[in-house]
Amino acid sequence: MRALVIDDSRTMRRIVASTLRPLGFEPYEAEHGAAALALLESGLEIDLACVDWNMPVMDGLTFVSTVRERPEWRSMTLMMVTTESEQSQIVRALAAGAHEYLIKPFTADAVRDKLALLGLLPLDGAA
Amino acid sequence: MSAPAVIGADQVMAVAQDVFVAMVDGEETTLGPWYGDVPAPAEPLAAWVDVHGPWSGRAVLVTELATARDLARAMLRLDDDAPVDAEDLVDAFGEIANVVGGNLKSLLPDGGTLGLPQVADAPPAAGVAASPEAELRLSWRGRPLVVAVHARPDTSSAPTGPTTHPDNPHLEGDTPR
Repeated sequence: MRALVIDDSRTMRRIVASTLRPLGFEPYEAEHGAAALALLESGLEIDLACVDWNMPVMDGLTFVSTVRERPEWRSMTLMMVTTESEQSQIVRALAAGAHEYLIKPFTADAVRDKLALLGLLPLDGAA
Repeated sequence: MSAPAVIGADQVMAVAQDVFVAMVDGEETTLGPWYGDVPAPAEPLAAWVDVHGPWSGRAVLVTELATARDLARAMLRLDDDAPVDAEDLVDAFGEIANVVGGNLKSLLPDGGTLGLPQVADAPPAAGVAASPEAELRLSWRGRPLVVAVHARPDTSSAPTGPTTHPDNPHLEGDTPR
């Protein structure tokens, strides 16, 4: 599976990518929403996008909304990975089309649990 | 009349602990309280994020440049003597401030909008309350790290500061990429 990590912090991109790699994902990186859209437009096929909220050029919420307007990208799973932790922000992201929401700081276990809930990994204890 | 405190030192400590466990050290983090006076840093490095909206505020981290470099190594899982270029140093320290600030923002009564992290040898004085709402003196690996939180219910003037990571003479030629 391919994952696109979208975050303006390269440190955070590396942390997220290094968390996803042992889970079987091939990570790609983009520094903001517009760069991520450019990758998708170029034909990169992605199973999962991990999307920061606050980024220059194009923020994560705009990216999610834009992706959701494109039927050809409908199969892509979108997970916000952000410091925005107010309930109102979570509701906004989910309403825009995000499938899951992970608040920074996160642990590797939290990432694994979210991906399992999304059906991208086996649930713990599953046969 | 000053506004009542909305963020306490104990909350700042809890957020900082969560950040260091998840992003820096794991469960074995050495982050804890600093006892006594904090020595003035010889080569300070500050990272901060501003909050705009019903509450204006800022979360600021200040430490020695060498400590910030070790923080970057820890976050990037680098060896203790691995070179850290200036871009990684600024990005990693700024990201700690970003995550600390983002979590503290959620404690404000009306939330707000989080700015992008900035890093320099000192934060600008303009735009925030003169005295921090909470200031926490921390020890990480036995070295001081100060976290200060400014907050006020005031939208009349947005915090100001550099628009991007400013040049920092301490970072130039330190560890070439």
